[in-house]
Amino acid sequence: MNLFRAFLVLLVVGAASFDATVQAQQPPPKQQDEFVPIDELPAQDQLPAAPLLVAAYSFIVLALFAYVLSVARRLGGVQRELERLESEMKRSGRT
Amino acid sequence: MPKWFTPAAVTCGLMFAVAPILIAAAPYESTMGLVQKIFYVHLPSAWMFLLAAITCGIASVRFLRRNDPRQDRLAWAAAELIVLFGALTLVTGPLWARKAWGTWWQWDVRLTSSLMGWMVAVAYLLLRKYGGPGSDKLAAGLALFGMANVPFVYISVNYWRTIHPTTNVVPTLPTSFGVPLWFSAATFLLLFVLLLRMRMRLEDQRATLDTLYLSMDG
Repeated sequence: MNLFRAFLVLLVVGAASFDATVQAQQPPPKQQDEFVPIDELPAQDQLPAAPLLVAAYSFIVLALFAYVLSVARRLGGVQRELERLESEMKRSGRT
Repeated sequence: MPKWFTPAAVTCGLMFAVAPILIAAAPYESTMGLVQKIFYVHLPSAWMFLLAAITCGIASVRFLRRNDPRQDRLAWAAAELIVLFGALTLVTGPLWARKAWGTWWQWDVRLTSSLMGWMVAVAYLLLRKYGGPGSDKLAAGLALFGMANVPFVYISVNYWRTIHPTTNVVPTLPTSFGVPLWFSAATFLLLFVLLLRMRMRLEDQRATLDTLYLSMDG
């Protein structure tokens, strides 16, 4: 158990120091307060950005579609339950 | 569903089909290049995320003051939309940041407060689902914290040191960037209204079902 705890502490300390080293090596870019348009996409930019862009748009489409589907299914379920209950009440003479 | 729902849904579908054309035609940004095009879905998602938090908060205040169950249903519906649009914002943001900043995530004020707002909404939904009797009032109180977080999220980039772009970006956008952004924002707003109405309908139907069950027991 103590060995396990020691391993956990080492893991956390190691991860923190690794993160700090990586952050120290990469100075953060300057904060932007305006966007400037250009006509040509820089060559080094073309391939690496595409998968991220595709992932972002795909996630948007899939998440929205899944949510609409989920609400529609729940709505359908409640609607069917309502109809069943109403017909049951009619059969038993209640309104 | 109300009469306006179907035409509005068709319009929204058409707008979603046109938006990518406008986004593709927009120029590339000078420092970020292609990946900046995530901006056209990231920012509208973030706006709807904050709008949903405000809607949920206001409906919760009204529910607490008037005990109106319809306001409670509106707050519940809006809370789901906070989680939905918050997830879109919190996923598309890191995908953009990975290329633009060289990192997926920064624990700066904007990103952290947005994550907190999203977690408050998740807590709201969990409370409504598993909280039992009385959880509606507790959840309404939680929604107030979610709403109070909104101005903090918005202004944080102007007051704290962060690499997230400031709120000055949108007012100074050239037309070539502005047209696709505002078109996309209008599309997301229409979608927000439609989803909120649809989700409200679900809660209304559930309330009718509960009334029927209670009348059968009585």
